[in-house]
Amino acid sequence: MTLRSFWIVVLGVVLLSTLSMAAEKFIVASDIAWAPFEWVSAKGHYVGFDLDVMRMIAVLEGYEIEIQDMAFDSIIPAVIAGKVDIGASGFTITAERAQVVDFSSPYWTSDQTVLVRADSGLNIVTALMPGRRVGAQRGTTGAIWVEENLIAKGVAVELILYETYPEAIMDLLAGRVDAVVQDQAPSEQAVRQYPGQLLIAGVIKTYEEFGFLVAKGDPKGILPRIERGMKKLKESGAWDNLVAAYFGNPLEAIEAAWEACIDILLVNKDPVGYAACLAQKVRELSQ
Amino acid sequence: MNLALLGGLLGLGFVLGVLIAILEVYGPKILRLCASVYTWVFRSIPEILLLLLVWFGPSQFGVQISPFFAAVLALGLRSSAYQAEIFRGALQSIPSGQTLAARALGLSRLGTIRHILLPQALRLSLAGWGNEFAVVLKDTTLAYAIGVVEVMRQARYIASRNFPLTLPAYILVALLFLAATYFGLFVIGKLEERLRIPGLEARR
Repeated sequence: MTLRSFWIVVLGVVLLSTLSMAAEKFIVASDIAWAPFEWVSAKGHYVGFDLDVMRMIAVLEGYEIEIQDMAFDSIIPAVIAGKVDIGASGFTITAERAQVVDFSSPYWTSDQTVLVRADSGLNIVTALMPGRRVGAQRGTTGAIWVEENLIAKGVAVELILYETYPEAIMDLLAGRVDAVVQDQAPSEQAVRQYPGQLLIAGVIKTYEEFGFLVAKGDPKGILPRIERGMKKLKESGAWDNLVAAYFGNPLEAIEAAWEACIDILLVNKDPVGYAACLAQKVRELSQ
Repeated sequence: MNLALLGGLLGLGFVLGVLIAILEVYGPKILRLCASVYTWVFRSIPEILLLLLVWFGPSQFGVQISPFFAAVLALGLRSSAYQAEIFRGALQSIPSGQTLAARALGLSRLGTIRHILLPQALRLSLAGWGNEFAVVLKDTTLAYAIGVVEVMRQARYIASRNFPLTLPAYILVALLFLAATYFGLFVIGKLEERLRIPGLEARR
């Protein structure tokens, strides 16, 4: 090889590598049907707490993300297969999942709730007695809790599994199940949408912790960047603003605020300003 | 999205299906065997399983394909096996005397298939093919399992945002499918009429 062609090759390699660095991009998989952590707004945008945290960290840490919607129980297999890079879908950190993927440090603590019809007169004990039909979403910790703490211990409830959470709620309203076990935030949303018809019979203190997940061994080195990003968000107060905006408010108000503020994040690249804007707008709109 | 999926999988299924049907009926023994194994395999595996296999399988060998492409491939391969059987039935319904006559007139084996048998067989298989169309149209809703945002998934978006809209959203999707099936079968019916050759159909 002549010296000249050698330099051309070197130049080519350098160019290619800078190109690929400029386009550093991770695919985030999420089951975008679980408000307020992730859902699709009336205007068709992917909104939600998990997704905004992912977007904010991407801005802080200087990479791009592409959000890919996927059935909940396909996400971990997709991460393992290298189809996607990050799972962000309200994943509870469990020992079983931690054997096949790596988790970030916890970003949310949740308990399970038992949802019943308001006119059923059931409480948390009578709703979970032997013979009761209990609904849950397939692959979620709610379903796992029923299996491990009721069925495995001899409390013979009948567990009915659903593809998505709204379908479980439909069956609860129709009287085909007596109770639905699900995380607190989505349960509260269901009660808000069916005022007078649904009731949270009780909270099961499971102290579950949510984490973002990546492939085992973190081959792309994503976890340290997520950790650093979360730390920055918490120190700057952006985290608290995001929590205040997303939890306990009507989805319509959150969506309107998101539309109004999102350019601060995506165009101006200012996560702190975005979170402040979002919290303030949601407060104004939900009054 | 469902229509793009449908186009892709029906196209793939048609091309492969015709090829395999010809192999099954006229191919040499070894290819005939391969073709029947092919249709046996792809008619046996449940669609949803096939989808997951095609999507997750290649990544074991470092090949990454998009969810859409995986869905077209999985559903297209499955459909090709069913379509092959439709075409095979049609090919075999053509009296063997026609092949003899064509060969006696000096047409080659391929020429006989191309000019004499296929034009008749494709006409005869239109009714069965319309049935396959109606079936695979609905299969496209399965693609959401591997991350293709199709119409059923969009109905669930609406449901998860606003629970009371769950049933109306599902009813809307049902109406969309009713309309799509009606329109598709209408076109196939027209095609059947247009291509009909008087005296060809169902003669003994």
